[in-house]
Amino acid sequence: MNITLKPTETFRGDFSTRNSDAAILRFPFPFPEDVYMYAVNIEPHVPGGPTEAFTAAFDIDEHYIGECHDRALTLIDDPARCQVLPHMMEAEWDTLELLMESLAKDYPTLFTLTKDGDIWRWQNHPLGIDQTFSFGQPETLPYPPFEYITRQVQGDFTIQDHRDNNLYMDGGMVTSQADWSLNFDLGMSFHEWHGPVPVAHELGVFDRALAYLLRLQYGKPVRRLNWTLTVNPRLDTSPENYPLWGPDKATITPENIREKMCLRVELQTLTRLPRSNAILFGIRGYLIRLEELVRVKKYAKRMHRVLRDLHPEIVEYKGMPRYRQMIIDYLAPFDDGEILSSGTQPDQTSL
Amino acid sequence: MGLNKSRPIYEKLRIDPQGRAHLIVTDLEALPQDTIEANLALSNIEIWVVARIARGIAASPSGSRAFRSVADLLSHLSFHLAREPVGLRLYAAGTEAFLWDVANTARAAGLGKDEIFLTQAGSLRRRVYCTHCKSMNEDAVANIATCRACGARLFVRDHFSRRLAAFMGVMVDAEVPNEIPEIEVIYP
Repeated sequence: MNITLKPTETFRGDFSTRNSDAAILRFPFPFPEDVYMYAVNIEPHVPGGPTEAFTAAFDIDEHYIGECHDRALTLIDDPARCQVLPHMMEAEWDTLELLMESLAKDYPTLFTLTKDGDIWRWQNHPLGIDQTFSFGQPETLPYPPFEYITRQVQGDFTIQDHRDNNLYMDGGMVTSQADWSLNFDLGMSFHEWHGPVPVAHELGVFDRALAYLLRLQYGKPVRRLNWTLTVNPRLDTSPENYPLWGPDKATITPENIREKMCLRVELQTLTRLPRSNAILFGIRGYLIRLEELVRVKKYAKRMHRVLRDLHPEIVEYKGMPRYRQMIIDYLAPFDDGEILSSGTQPDQTSL
Repeated sequence: MGLNKSRPIYEKLRIDPQGRAHLIVTDLEALPQDTIEANLALSNIEIWVVARIARGIAASPSGSRAFRSVADLLSHLSFHLAREPVGLRLYAAGTEAFLWDVANTARAAGLGKDEIFLTQAGSLRRRVYCTHCKSMNEDAVANIATCRACGARLFVRDHFSRRLAAFMGVMVDAEVPNEIPEIEVIYP
């Protein structure tokens, strides 16, 4: 995969990040139909999909350097964004191995992994890292293994322990979340951490999803998409820092909505880990401004229809009552009512 | 049976016949009879209550004991459980935060899930965790609580952490300062 990494970008302050044409065309648009409702929309995570974002095991894109930098800033302010319970050390090494091997295989020009028995050399060329360490010996790394590697990968991660016929969120690196707190949810079971989500419990979505995930097999990862809206391309929309980003929501006007309002999509992957039998949950976030999104004609039309007909409780939960109508008003002129292809592929190859 | 969310579901206090000895602890001054379905006259049952007075009350021959405060009780519980051989069943009755303080103390002492029983009794008041400054705020009775550590006015989300023994509190007027919904007492 050929990617040009942007050298500097910000996801706070002046929000200098922008999506190139290529990034817009590879964006993982989340709405395969004109109407959205919660579902267990899980599919095998095999290479390939409606856009290029589905090609690698863990997708790296043009925002890599800026996102890693933003994560480091968040961790300086709040080290509790990365926590792993002590019994999960085996899963930490499993994660490090999986991420290093996947990145080196999918992006050989960016990452190099060299093994000599248990002595591993990890070269991260974009971040200028060259680290030799002993696999299985945490003291040979500058951070615990899970934190070490997830500081170098885009997206949040949690690790789920599998016991008592349930999954427990016993660790995570969470610096770019859509309003949930690792420090609060740490140690919770599957239904507990999903407690605040409306409607889906009543639909039985979580019962079915848990049953499915408990059967997740090694070597057969799965994926699903989730979405919300975020004002400004801000990665850290944590509840911890809601006092910092909450005020942004009141700044939206019909004039600035095209630039400020972003669709935030999570490409979620679930991978069984070999030694610990834990599950690594990757939450790879993508942000796209409305004015970027509408350059894909199908996405503008479908986004308009989905928001217009969205279930009121989902509108509330995703925090959009304040500006939903403004988004619909902005998108409406792009929607001529044409029947759209089902699926999420952009249906155009250039902008 | 309610939906399986983060809120635990509590049952009435019943004595587990598998137990060799039984310890019942409560943060109330006496056991709440309306939430108990058990014969408490049995000789192998000990009852700990919280008197909330500095002098406390000495252990009585009947196996009932009163503590000066909840903290006093929890401190004794740690020591007690560390010395207790297997076969003990531990029962807690009281406010939700107390129940999970007891459960976490017991788990730290090595008791298994099947050896701990929790019964909600008394006030529905909530302990609220301030997501912003990580402080705990006791005894919230309304939909909105004020964090006494950082001053944030917190909406009390219906999301409970057993590990923290607390509900999640998130700033209610972050988007527009002082735009606060009507305050209602809902956890009396």
